[in-house]
Amino acid sequence: MNFTRRQFSAGLAAGVAMPALIKAARADGATVKIGMVVPITGPGAESGKYAQTGAKIAVERINKAGGILGKPLELVIEDDQTTNPGAVLAFSKLASQPDIVAFLGSIRSTQVHAMAPDLAKVGKPMMFGGTDPALTHMGAQWLFRCRPNDSFSGRVIAAYGSETLQKKKWALVHSTDAFGTGGAKALTAALGDAGCTVALDQGYPNQSQDFSSIVLAIKQSGAEILGSYFTFETDLAIFARQLRQLGVTIPWVGSPSIIDATAVKLAGPALYGTFGVADYAEASSEASTEFGKAYRAASGNVPPDNFSAWTYDALGILTTAINAAGSTDPAKIREAIIAIKGYKGAEGEYNYDQNGDGLRGYNIVRNEKGTIVFDKHVEFKS
Amino acid sequence: MDIILQLLFQGIGIGSVYALVAMGFVLIFRATNVVNFAQGEFSMVAAYMMVVCAVDLGLPYWLSFLIALAGMVVIGALFNVCVYYPLRHRTYLPVIISTIGASIFLANTTLALYGPQPQVLSGWFDTPGIQIGPVYLDSQYLLIIGVTILLVAFQYWFFEKTLIGKKLQATSQDKEMASLLGIPVAAMIMLTFIYSALLGGVAGILVAPILFVSIQMGSTIALKAFAATIIGGFGDVAGAIIGGLALGIIETFGAAYISVPYKDGFAFLVLVLFLIFRPQGIFGERVAEKA
Repeated sequence: MNFTRRQFSAGLAAGVAMPALIKAARADGATVKIGMVVPITGPGAESGKYAQTGAKIAVERINKAGGILGKPLELVIEDDQTTNPGAVLAFSKLASQPDIVAFLGSIRSTQVHAMAPDLAKVGKPMMFGGTDPALTHMGAQWLFRCRPNDSFSGRVIAAYGSETLQKKKWALVHSTDAFGTGGAKALTAALGDAGCTVALDQGYPNQSQDFSSIVLAIKQSGAEILGSYFTFETDLAIFARQLRQLGVTIPWVGSPSIIDATAVKLAGPALYGTFGVADYAEASSEASTEFGKAYRAASGNVPPDNFSAWTYDALGILTTAINAAGSTDPAKIREAIIAIKGYKGAEGEYNYDQNGDGLRGYNIVRNEKGTIVFDKHVEFKS
Repeated sequence: MDIILQLLFQGIGIGSVYALVAMGFVLIFRATNVVNFAQGEFSMVAAYMMVVCAVDLGLPYWLSFLIALAGMVVIGALFNVCVYYPLRHRTYLPVIISTIGASIFLANTTLALYGPQPQVLSGWFDTPGIQIGPVYLDSQYLLIIGVTILLVAFQYWFFEKTLIGKKLQATSQDKEMASLLGIPVAAMIMLTFIYSALLGGVAGILVAPILFVSIQMGSTIALKAFAATIIGGFGDVAGAIIGGLALGIIETFGAAYISVPYKDGFAFLVLVLFLIFRPQGIFGERVAEKA
């Protein structure tokens, strides 16, 4: 069979254009796509797995209940390598796909900060799990938080330590990244309001191999209680062990990382008897218990934690908002998210404000010989 | 005073870990004139093998240790064959890039095989440590310090007193001359890679109970060990040991008395100072001697 030059050109053009045409046809309606930036490699890969499981449970539920605007929800996942440049790269890959209507950002505040300028240019909603209060107070209109911010965790840690445990002289240990510094700042402010003193405020760089100098400083400071904001579980576990080895036994109330499943496993007895604030506690509400059950079933009985709960809630909230808006227009989705009141998620009851904060409460939990036990829920009005 | 002693112990402990990994760097550098950037991953892989044997399969600790070391022999040999040998006639640059590639490959293969969860490996001893007066001595750190001393002694004996050690030295000094004298150069280099993998593996297994077993455990230690090698003088085993210990102590005291957030900064500040004022390191041979 012989081709004329014209036939050949036409065939070539059709061949080149075909993938784009097929893509356009698919984008035209088969699914509603939501992009997810999540660590698949790097030090956060462990938590990334939890986050994906939480999201997948949500996708299954949403699609079973009819999807978004009558179409099935599809997740598009990109690896952020647990680094800021990785997060920016992953986000730009997602942002270049015009059919993605909204994003799930990171649980790490520093990465959300890194992605924020590009997000502002793209102009679509991003749900995120980072707890640095600044993220929703810097005029970024597309960021919506699915966990309570650290101004609340700081207030809860301060209130529990000073009122329930009756300790006034504090030592603070925190990571020097955005999450740790933001948290420590909020805790320091809350402690000042509660009439407590800060005997030691000590930052450390992530991935430290030795914490003995910090432990000795705590010992010398004469603090009666320890408050902490750790980012990585390995850091927390190494610190906890050295703390006990060098004989520090003061009560310890930590940010959520202190009760996450990996930290509890790694540190073992070194964390027994410590308190943590948890945005997710399995026994704290009906929705939390229900999510916990689904998560255990999906993950082979791994205990659920905030890494998976927030992505689960984020997709639920986006679905509710898009369905209420009746459109995937970003401005309409934003309005619909802000209008959400009383949404019962695994993390708690969401009532969004203009800034993009939906939750204002925390649970206090205890490490009872390796089992995390719900103590009480503390909710703030504002 | 109590605090100074405690810090000194911690500094020597973590410094010994750097020293062990740094020794591996030095040996390969001496034999092949390249820096092996996968040295840290040797530690990580050995620690994972230990977890598989001692934790997952429940084998006795000593048996797991032997299996892990045997595994490191295989990895060292494979590393030589796949990463160094095909590029041996090229300049140092392709070889270095090849080792970087190998380090990424090892890290991600382990990640794919074992998953991202950090693992717990118990120590050699049931007692976590001993309290001597005001100072707490972690038994695992004590073991690390002991093993480092032993390995240094072994290394001295091996390189200075045995024929095979002398052949290895001859190979590292001048490959062509060594080959003319009938020394099997390729076999000597193979041996160096195996021994370096073993050293890295021992360091990884010893440090795992303290730092936990994670994919990135190797790279964090290797970076410091690399700095230790430069401080000590690239190519000198005694220098690597002194460099490692000095780095551990400087870091720990710097963190305690100056600033914790800049802890890693101190290590690299010392590195930069050495690069400016004494690029050959503490014990480094002068370039003229090498030529």
